[in-house]
Amino acid sequence: MCKDLPPLERAVQFHGHVCPGLLMGVRVAEFAQKHLGVNQDIDEELVAVVETNSCGVDAIQSILGCTFGKGNLIYKDYGKNVYTIASREKNRAVRIAQKYRDINSPESIRYRELNSLSQLTDDQEAEREDLLALIFENTMSAPFEELFDWQDIDFVFPEKAQIRATIRCAVCGEGVMDSKATESVEGLICKACLLAKEG
Amino acid sequence: MCESNVYIDRAGHEELLMESVDRIIPAEDGSIFMESIFGERKVVKARIKEMELVHHRIILEEIDKQEAKEHDQEIWLEPDTDHGHFHAGEEVVLKLSKGYNMKPDHDAAYSAIEAFAVNEGNVNPVHIHDHHGSKEINLGQEADGLLQIYVHEHEIRELYAKVVMEIGHHHHHGLKPLGLPLEIVPIDYSHARMGESYEIQVLQNGQPLAGAEVKVTYASTRSKDYPNRLTTSEDGRAKIFLSARGNYLFSVTAQNIISTFTLVKSF
Ligand SMILES: [Zn+2]
Ligand SMILES: [Zn+2]
Repeated sequence: MCKDLPPLERAVQFHGHVCPGLLMGVRVAEFAQKHLGVNQDIDEELVAVVETNSCGVDAIQSILGCTFGKGNLIYKDYGKNVYTIASREKNRAVRIAQKYRDINSPESIRYRELNSLSQLTDDQEAEREDLLALIFENTMSAPFEELFDWQDIDFVFPEKAQIRATIRCAVCGEGVMDSKATESVEGLICKACLLAKEG
Repeated sequence: MCESNVYIDRAGHEELLMESVDRIIPAEDGSIFMESIFGERKVVKARIKEMELVHHRIILEEIDKQEAKEHDQEIWLEPDTDHGHFHAGEEVVLKLSKGYNMKPDHDAAYSAIEAFAVNEGNVNPVHIHDHHGSKEINLGQEADGLLQIYVHEHEIRELYAKVVMEIGHHHHHGLKPLGLPLEIVPIDYSHARMGESYEIQVLQNGQPLAGAEVKVTYASTRSKDYPNRLTTSEDGRAKIFLSARGNYLFSVTAQNIISTFTLVKSF
């Protein structure tokens, strides 16, 4: 790649498609960067706590660099579009919550309706494309405070991910992180084998 | 009960097109929009042949393909690269297409066509050659800088196609209009990103053209017609929000001229 990818492009490439949820996540990630004065994370400087597992989280991962694999993406299964982004370096955290909206715009209602159909005609495809373009423009150009509430909060940083030893499961013989293994009559065994034994 | 079943007569035999239609709107372009009580929608190229209202039957007649060639064809240029610019030393190849809404008509015939490359005010004719049945311009490996390439075809109408190509990484100061009789000029050629707005200006004989309709499309559209139509302001300008990846095509018509501008995006 000979030019740096813009954040939105990074998010779309990572997520695979453009959708309203991803775009909301892009707004959150870009706002957090500006608000905290931080760049994309390299080495767990940033931590994100996300209270949803929907499309928007992929923007957090791809733009902020808080990823599942690095362990600086913490998922809470609350089903809420709430994101807390924290910077160790700045010792600051901001909690960003999508505003609850009672009435959905007609374009987003129709967009969801079309998305729920299993097969679209050519005209419906074209209609959906038009609706998405409209939602896209509205989402990217709306003032942030119209879409989200936010506040600076105190944040207890989790410990950075530790490198643990890998031991051999006494039953299946596969490697398992020592902290995740359980003592049994066979010796140390992995979670999968433990569950199988318990039946 | 006041809705009808709509049938289409295709060369003698009738086919059920949609059941329980409660809305039919004929459009100016000769197509018919219909909507059923279930919310199903369709647009067909047809005319109403018969309405048997007692039997709740409406029969349409297909307009044959030749007749349906409703749009004036335009020409446009696209670079043969997938990432929006060429590097210094790379072979610069452009594709010339004829059709509508970025959908090439592969059977289109060309009459007298000429092409030019303009670099810092120097205009050089360039060769258009056939390549597997399509038209190509090859600028070789020596091209460098900020190039404007345009093609002119003298047909029943005057057709123009223009593209701006950045070759190598440079710093450029603006972009001068070429002075075509009808021309779309990017306000800031280099700043085109999905998720942002892009502004152009339409010039007719060098003067801003106010109130002109600028049609805008992109390569990936599923729409049969141009998905966007803008109207130029007092100073000939119009803006579009870029919601799609890939290249965009702008098209404007005035008097006997159709002029296009291809916005080449990196993504
Ligand atoms: Zn999505
Ligand atoms: Zn095991």
